[in-house]
Amino acid sequence: MDTGQSSTRRELLAYGAGIAGAALLVPASAPAAGRAATESEADRLQRLMSVELLMLYTYRQVMASSLLSPSARRALAPLRANEEAHIRALGARLSALGGVAPSPPASVAGADKALAHREVSGRLGKLKGAKDALRLLLAVERVTVGAYFVALTKLEDPGLITLAAEIMANDAQHEAIVGELLYPGKAGQAVPYGLVQGVQ
Amino acid sequence: MVSTEGGAPRRELLAGAGSALAAGAALGLAGCGGNKHVPRQAVKTAPRHIRRRDVRLLNAALALERRTIAAYTAGIPLLEHRDQKAAKQFLNEELQHTGELLGLIKAADGIAPPRADSYDIGHPRDAAGVLALLHELERAQIAGYVKAVSKLSPGPVRAAVASILCNDAQHISFIRLMQGTTPVPSAFVTGSE
Repeated sequence: MDTGQSSTRRELLAYGAGIAGAALLVPASAPAAGRAATESEADRLQRLMSVELLMLYTYRQVMASSLLSPSARRALAPLRANEEAHIRALGARLSALGGVAPSPPASVAGADKALAHREVSGRLGKLKGAKDALRLLLAVERVTVGAYFVALTKLEDPGLITLAAEIMANDAQHEAIVGELLYPGKAGQAVPYGLVQGVQ
Repeated sequence: MVSTEGGAPRRELLAGAGSALAAGAALGLAGCGGNKHVPRQAVKTAPRHIRRRDVRLLNAALALERRTIAAYTAGIPLLEHRDQKAAKQFLNEELQHTGELLGLIKAADGIAPPRADSYDIGHPRDAAGVLALLHELERAQIAGYVKAVSKLSPGPVRAAVASILCNDAQHISFIRLMQGTTPVPSAFVTGSE
């Protein structure tokens, strides 16, 4: 699974300029720049779908467990539905471009492997309580937001750019809601950043 | 109604936010966002006509941010105590947004207009009125950013502006919670709610 996470933010901003000079100034960006030049919009959508599918799988597993209180489960249900809507929207665009949708994780072990690949520290197979579960959801939401942040430096189609921004903003809202469940009444911890860029 | 923006220390801003116009000591730091996030290199290499278009869009966003800051500054004292802390946090973040926008405008060789002497934010008289006003202003900002994002160029500028959009989307979710409504009414944040 390609995470699209291997580039540092500095590299991405440099090659986002689309100039050879930036690549020369930041030699480490050369492989990323090469990839950016050859990848298609469909490739970018596939990467976004991959992370959304992992996000949805994580919600489903967490909510199917007995870790969360009924009230927390009620609060998270709309968020899970939102993820399903994101996947449908991305899938429709990807299909229109002739791309093939990636597969969702097939098992908890597969999802945990994908989480490790994306440098998320939590594991679905090792959740010890409600806070642990919420921290994992928060971490994956941040990775998802980061994936959109990176995608927005590269997407070219205006419709896809708008769609990516709308979904990214919704995932940022999820971050805030999960943060509020983790830290009730502490907006400073639930909404800690004025510039929301996720984890890249 | 005026506000500080750009490089004011966070502590100072939070302290000032509660008293409706401690922020009135406008710092006049246009272009001093000093924001290390601003993708200056990418902006500077964009063609001139692109930069001009960006500056128009960014200046429009800046005007909305300043109006929202004025509303938070004036409205926070009217909010219930439990909501004031969050609102002060959001005010601080709106100030960060202006810093980011000013940085982008400057990087594009643009000129940001000065702050207005006052902003028409109506006359909310209670917490509910303030929350309705803040909801409407955050919604307008979101709609503006969603409309602008695909028109901005190059990509790093789009991403920078999207990072502001995302934070405003978080604000509106919390404001909706304060209003007793569902915090995330749609899977796609469009500002059309």
